[in-house]
Amino acid sequence: MKLVQIAGWLGSGKTTLIIALSRALSLKGSRVAILVNEVGAIPVDGKVIQEYGLTVKDIGGGCICCQVAGNLMKTLQLLSEGPKPEIVIIEPTGIAVPSSIRATILSWGRKQDVSMGPTIVLFDTTREEKLLTYESLKRLVSTQLKDADIIALSKVDMASAEAIARAGESVRLINPGARIVHLSTTRGDGFESLVQATEKITVQV
Amino acid sequence: MSPEMTPKERVLKFLKGEKVDRPPIFSGMGNVIKPVLDKYGIVFSRVHRDSELMARAAAGMYREFGYECAVVPFDLGVEAEALGAKMNFYDEVEGLLYPTVSEKSVKDVNDVGIPGDLEHAGRIPVVTGAIKALRRELGDKVAIGTYLLGPFTLAGQVKELDELFEESFLEPEKTNRLLERLSDFIVRVSRIYRDAGADYITLREMGGTSDVMSPKSFRSLIKPHLIRILSEMSRPSILHICGDTNSIITDMAECGADAISVDQKNCMADTRQKLGAGAIILGNFDPIKVLHKGEMQDVGPAVLDSLKGGASAVWPGCDLWPEVPKENMEALINALKGAKPEPARKVS
Repeated sequence: MKLVQIAGWLGSGKTTLIIALSRALSLKGSRVAILVNEVGAIPVDGKVIQEYGLTVKDIGGGCICCQVAGNLMKTLQLLSEGPKPEIVIIEPTGIAVPSSIRATILSWGRKQDVSMGPTIVLFDTTREEKLLTYESLKRLVSTQLKDADIIALSKVDMASAEAIARAGESVRLINPGARIVHLSTTRGDGFESLVQATEKITVQV
Repeated sequence: MSPEMTPKERVLKFLKGEKVDRPPIFSGMGNVIKPVLDKYGIVFSRVHRDSELMARAAAGMYREFGYECAVVPFDLGVEAEALGAKMNFYDEVEGLLYPTVSEKSVKDVNDVGIPGDLEHAGRIPVVTGAIKALRRELGDKVAIGTYLLGPFTLAGQVKELDELFEESFLEPEKTNRLLERLSDFIVRVSRIYRDAGADYITLREMGGTSDVMSPKSFRSLIKPHLIRILSEMSRPSILHICGDTNSIITDMAECGADAISVDQKNCMADTRQKLGAGAIILGNFDPIKVLHKGEMQDVGPAVLDSLKGGASAVWPGCDLWPEVPKENMEALINALKGAKPEPARKVS
């Protein structure tokens, strides 16, 4: 099982990307599972789940706690005991710290057949100023960006060229090592490169 | 001093800052493990909704292992459910999964309807029933604990978490009004639990961690509500925040609880230095890495390390994951055999 995290602040387009990515990976023959904080939070209806053979599980919402970490570990174990998915996409809450989730998974996964795929963090180019101006919000958003292997500058179809350039400069300062992708899930920009990254990239940790 | 102090005497004297024969081994958070559930034939998903099962499972931690407390409930959804949230108990899952909130009930403060008959709201009567049963069966021997979520953490259970955080950053006055209302609710529930017979209450404000909330926001948005709740809750009380807490540790101490609880991410040397020798500091012991995933022979040394490092008692830094192996639990209990008397400590 390869575990891929898709993180990002509220409204950054995580859910849209996860649904599109899951469909694309399923069509290419991968068995895909999606772990979300609350099942109701991701509008994947039964028809889509059935059509694409997806498995959707929730790991519990709320703030950070050993119970959430435990539920995540247990859910991964239960998945590994059934028809094992090749790719598990994890959508943490907007406030989750990807490195903490990765550490939790690794503490569980050492004895299991798991590998870590990329951590993709979405950054909403239409809200660059708001996300990186307010001190407290900036703190959380920056923490997520620092943990990214790939930063997807999302909603590029709705932002001006200046805003996209500014967002790119801002995130590059926060995480110089991450690959940056310009993403519009609705228009298709950057989407195929994320599909390929999900399939091909395995992160050494 | 009597060498035959009961676990109840030890825990309650300790929390009052009085001298005890050795540090107690206890918790104020969820602690029930599979060996107990299996021995008593209790299904995990059922234990959260049945007073008798809940009490039997909590008592089992004392009866089977000598854990020096009996704490109910086990999950983090009781208060949210009483405020109208829907829960998923995972009845269809054979393994152990904690109940989670499946449907939130609050968009803004006007949606927080505190039931007039709060004693009978949601699963509050299940918890009070379990506390009363524990009191009847073990009340003379074991301290009975319970816990409540802090207002910000509870807000994250009843309102979409992302929306809560965004609102708290962009429109803090709105969040402040919500926390004020939730604080009213928390104080009232704490009194119900205390009247039912709880000996001590832990206030769990996990959402206040500096991992996600800046110390400045903690001070302006959360701390005033914690001060108010802890001043109106009966004592002894413990304030728990997990994750990164060193930058808010003096603020935590100023909230007014009898003891503070932190997890393994806290630098205890720094905390002890800041709060002084007299403070009752709990936790800083990893319940997942050491107790759940660790080897039996490593548990005792980890316990002693946490005490040497500055922890005042043996208190796991979070809920026990129910799959803690039996032998690791036994090693935890046996770690302090022959320990020397514990000097009195008290948060100043």
